[in-house]
Amino acid sequence: MHFKLIRTIARQEWNSVFRSKTTFVLFFVLLAVSLLAVYTGWQYAGKFNLQQAAASSEVHKQWMSQPNRHPHRVAHYGYLVFREKSPLSFFDFGLDSYVGNSVFLEAHRQNTLNMSEAGFSNGMLRFGELSMAMVLQLLVPLFIIFIGFQTVSGLKENGVLKILLCQRASYMDVLVGKTAGLTAVTWSLFLPLLILGLAAGITLVPGSAAADMAIRIVLIVFSYAVYFLIITLIVVTVSAMSSSAKNALILLVLIWMLFFVVMPKSAQTLGSSLFEAPGKIEFERAIEADVSEAGDSHNPDDPHFANLKARTLKKHGVDSIQALPLNYGALVMQEGENITSAIFNRHFDRLISTYKSQNAVSTAFGFADPFLAIRNISMNLAGTDFDSFTAFQKQTEQFRFEKTKRLNNIHLTQVSFKNNATQRVSAKNFREMPDFIFQPVPIGQNLIASSASLIALLFWAAGGFIVLNIVSSKLKYQ
Amino acid sequence: MMITSRKVLMLEAKNFVLGRTVLTGTAFLLIFAAYGFFYGNHLIGQHQKTIHKIPQVQKEHLQEIVEHGSKATVGTTAYYPFFYTSNPPAPWARFAIGQRDVNPYTLKVKMLAIEGQLYDSELNNPLTLLVGNLDTSFIFIFLFPLLIIALLYNVISDEVESGVWKFVRTTTGSIGQTIAGKLLIRYTVVILITLAIFALSVIALQLPLTGPTFQLMLILLPYVLFWLLVGTLVVGMGKSSAFNATTLVCVWIFLAILFPGIANIAVNIAVPVPEAAETALRQREGYHKKWDLPKGPTMEKFYAVYPQYRKYPIAKDKYSPGWYYAMQFSGDLESAHSAVKLFEKLHQRQLFSETIGVFNPVITAQQALNKIANTDLASQVRYLESVRTHHRQIREYFYPFIFENVPTSNIDWAGYPAYKPVGYVAEPLASSVASIAVWNILLAACALFLFKINFIQSKDLQNA
Repeated sequence: MHFKLIRTIARQEWNSVFRSKTTFVLFFVLLAVSLLAVYTGWQYAGKFNLQQAAASSEVHKQWMSQPNRHPHRVAHYGYLVFREKSPLSFFDFGLDSYVGNSVFLEAHRQNTLNMSEAGFSNGMLRFGELSMAMVLQLLVPLFIIFIGFQTVSGLKENGVLKILLCQRASYMDVLVGKTAGLTAVTWSLFLPLLILGLAAGITLVPGSAAADMAIRIVLIVFSYAVYFLIITLIVVTVSAMSSSAKNALILLVLIWMLFFVVMPKSAQTLGSSLFEAPGKIEFERAIEADVSEAGDSHNPDDPHFANLKARTLKKHGVDSIQALPLNYGALVMQEGENITSAIFNRHFDRLISTYKSQNAVSTAFGFADPFLAIRNISMNLAGTDFDSFTAFQKQTEQFRFEKTKRLNNIHLTQVSFKNNATQRVSAKNFREMPDFIFQPVPIGQNLIASSASLIALLFWAAGGFIVLNIVSSKLKYQ
Repeated sequence: MMITSRKVLMLEAKNFVLGRTVLTGTAFLLIFAAYGFFYGNHLIGQHQKTIHKIPQVQKEHLQEIVEHGSKATVGTTAYYPFFYTSNPPAPWARFAIGQRDVNPYTLKVKMLAIEGQLYDSELNNPLTLLVGNLDTSFIFIFLFPLLIIALLYNVISDEVESGVWKFVRTTTGSIGQTIAGKLLIRYTVVILITLAIFALSVIALQLPLTGPTFQLMLILLPYVLFWLLVGTLVVGMGKSSAFNATTLVCVWIFLAILFPGIANIAVNIAVPVPEAAETALRQREGYHKKWDLPKGPTMEKFYAVYPQYRKYPIAKDKYSPGWYYAMQFSGDLESAHSAVKLFEKLHQRQLFSETIGVFNPVITAQQALNKIANTDLASQVRYLESVRTHHRQIREYFYPFIFENVPTSNIDWAGYPAYKPVGYVAEPLASSVASIAVWNILLAACALFLFKINFIQSKDLQNA
């Protein structure tokens, strides 16, 4: 290895790339698209969050201005929670458009997250959403292909490679120099853009924790830097293995198709056929079956609830529920809530783990397709990933359960069993309840979720250099 | 002369068809097509399996509810049961899954206010939705253009670059005929592959040989021709193979990824749908407020639509089922306006995207295929409307029993009007076909012009 020589080759590559008009044309197109993507993404996320916050505060206002009501009616009056986009979602939309945006929380019932953007779209969304992440993940590799496909094959065609190799340079030096030059070009063109885009977007989003954001941004920039290096390695390798620049280009475009169109879809559809998830009807029927087995609060002869009654009467030393110092109806209701909630959570966790197994297939494919790896990491760090969506669902369910429990407790202690239905309790009781605040997935958990993908990226980078070394040792590629 | 030129053409055709690009390209497409068939059959098959289970589920569900409520009146029991509806797939949904994976295809409704129940989502893995379907329509819309690019990008430039072209120019009588011959071979091969894969999809997806199947063809042929003409146009510029390949891939990325991405943003900005949240809020408030208000005005709203129930007395100072369902009904009345607006907005979105599609045959073709398959947003809206209708029928079936205070066991719980699925709706496609055709005519004219100036009139090629 001649580092001086590598540096010279790298500098030469840098110069020749910047001498070409295509580089500037392509870069300015990508620049324009990225700026458009960042601006619209940021504006859309901002507007969306305002809309959600407005709806949220209306729900809160309505809740606070409730008249005196029977607590169980309040439990059915329920609460609506609106999902807001994460601060970095303007950069990488991730799953956002395919996840519901609001959920109605009421007693006895676990409702789905409803009204996703995809549900209100007529299919254009399915071509892919224009975000800065999409530009960096999909289009920058194409840029690298277009500026780099002839980097070595061109030298072969005009005979310069032979001349270089007759001098002190080893083939590996040439390849490493070329890789270094192209990587330097890509990094200097796109990393500042990425950093600026992220920083500008963040300063415009109020109230995000600075330290957390800084770590996320650093990690995002690092991951994309490695990703660009990997693509450059692939381009240089293919260019070195091809007999002509044209062949290199065709092969690279094919690889692009494979990585960006074919593999992601195949991996995910494979995942969903390997790990079949239940449909909604099946899911609900399974829960209903478990609930009626565990104890049905609506059935007066149900053994579980007969047992509860006997225990409660004994505990208070009375012989009828009318004589109890608390509202037995509320006690039954809460017991029913405990049962259904536990069963629901069990089934829901199972469903989520099925989905996770499906997604794990895509993650594993990250070792065969670097795009899948960076896609995962990017989504995780932007907080638009599967975990964030699951966390929202789990937290709203937790909130629903606790709210219902509080209401049942009011019912239990402040409403007497006799003439239950006609009583009302002071609205003050309802006003004291805490509001829903989403706790975003902490960065540690995000990193655990993306660890396999991070390893895949590093694996690709290391593997790239090894392959480069193998290619350089083969005489037929010179 | 004619005989030799035909001979040359046949030889060229043979060489081309047996060449590596055609064989590998076709092989790849066939593998993906096979997967596309499997996937379409699998997903739509699952939908059908679920839909087939519904009658049994519904029957058991109603039985359980009726058993529980045996001591109560219909008014109390009617609170509990769900009534299932479904949106059965049209046979062509296997070809173009469209939005069927995103949208719910079964919805269950109670007799309560409908607006809170209409937008329930299906259980889905969002990552699967994000990645999208690898169905047959995807193969035609997305992958076919790539095969066409691979077959066309070097149609003349290859021979120019290898030096054969100079020889060809001097030996053939008409250079125009030679070029036309070369293009003809490629056009024929692509159209034959299109027809073959389409025929396979008809068999594998069991598409009935009726109008819509031919309509799919009616969209696909001009669409494939569009890409052939795009390729021809770029080739007509007379540049190098590398230039042609780069340009064509850029055109493909622009039309199939960037343009739709930007168009989607444009649609979201032009037609936002805040009505979705508004509808939910209004319905909830509209219903719940009534509990704390005098019963008279609530009942009057109900009687305005259902005057026949005025004769039944409603207690002023205590709960009654009649009043309860009147409250639920008024929740819907109060959110009706924003619900109508929401549906209008969705319709506007559809129209707006169709307008945008005029500028991009890729979008036009995708939307047209989804339309033929009844898997687009408009079909989903029709389904939601049918659920609303069913909900009304259910209410109207049970209202008399509720107001008459009939005991639960005295009525036929399964006697309500059966849910009627929407059925296949054929929508006009003329404008889609016309817009692709106009593109094709423009492209053909430009390509012809380019060939004239770059190959036929010029005596020497700059690349030669």
